[in-house]
Amino acid sequence: MSEHTHQPESGRARELPMARSMCWHCQSEMTGEYFCGRCVKVQPLSKELDYFTCLNLPRKLNLDEQALEETFYALSRSFHPDYYATKDEGEKAISLGNTALLNTAYRTLKDPVQRAEYLIRLEAGSAKDIRNSPPADLFDEILELQEDLDEFRSLSAGESDERRQELLEKLQADRRTLEARKAQMEDRLREQFSRWDALPTEAEGEATVRSQKDAVLAGMQEILSNRTYVKNIVNDLVAATSPTAEPGRSAWH
Amino acid sequence: MAYSEKVIDHYNNPRNMGSFKKEEDGVGTGIVGAPECGDVMKLQIKVENDTIVDAKFKTFGCGSAIASSSLATEWLKGKTVDQAGQIKNTEIVQELNLPPVKIHCSVLAEDAIKAALNDYKKKADTEGETAEAATPA
Repeated sequence: MSEHTHQPESGRARELPMARSMCWHCQSEMTGEYFCGRCVKVQPLSKELDYFTCLNLPRKLNLDEQALEETFYALSRSFHPDYYATKDEGEKAISLGNTALLNTAYRTLKDPVQRAEYLIRLEAGSAKDIRNSPPADLFDEILELQEDLDEFRSLSAGESDERRQELLEKLQADRRTLEARKAQMEDRLREQFSRWDALPTEAEGEATVRSQKDAVLAGMQEILSNRTYVKNIVNDLVAATSPTAEPGRSAWH
Repeated sequence: MAYSEKVIDHYNNPRNMGSFKKEEDGVGTGIVGAPECGDVMKLQIKVENDTIVDAKFKTFGCGSAIASSSLATEWLKGKTVDQAGQIKNTEIVQELNLPPVKIHCSVLAEDAIKAALNDYKKKADTEGETAEAATPA
């Protein structure tokens, strides 16, 4: 285990990592680890367990990736269904449930974007609580680009080659511009990560800290939303303008 | 999870796809997006005498978002401006059998309708003419 410890914020109920405080098997008092101290049976992780606590990491965004990996592998070994093949049905089910939760937690925290989205959900209750004004300019830009894309897709190779080539060059240039913008957004997101991490985890001057936190969360939410729009149009541009692109739009996503 | 037949039908045969000129008299334009999935929806209405005589949409997103806006344009035609404001996303969910993960697509369509209606009203207020001539039948 790494030396990281999750610091619960005072004034809030400490989230218990385990589904219950008593061992499901021998009924003895649990001390908060994943196995009963007395009968050594595996214990079910609580469905309410947050992913940071699950992986023994502080609620920070620039996380220690090595610690994340190490904890993940250690816990995976503890919970892996292969080790429970000869155990009773109850333990098998717990092993499966814990492994599923652990995998989701790991996948979510490993990816910076998913990590930020998860933190926003966790801290703001629901990401929907933070509503940013819609980026009208970006929408107009996207719609215009989509018009060009539609026209480009409608021109089959062979006919109107000149217009097709002209559009292709324009769309490829647009794609480069947008990819650069997406990268800039990701830089700005990382800046917000550092701002978040610099905020005190302890509840010093609770109200001020909360409003600072909300401001960072809202800032991140805005970047993440705009990034999603840009990412989609970039994907469409890539799909349509790559040499191997199938004609027509990739439908279900 | 599979798309319902109605969603697939609207996706394959979208109704009223296209656009009007934004500046045109009686045209209201709503452009909205879903920050969670990045879908962008443009929905436009054309109003004459307080009645929506035509509606068009362009949606860049998943099948459910396309179907929701396609259905919305069908429902909008023939409705008065007030009636159009009553359309609820839950009706779209029901009609298209949208699964819980796709409910936000219907919300997007409702938002687009509202945005288009607001844009129409705002234009009518500033330009005067179209709204004043309107006398509901």
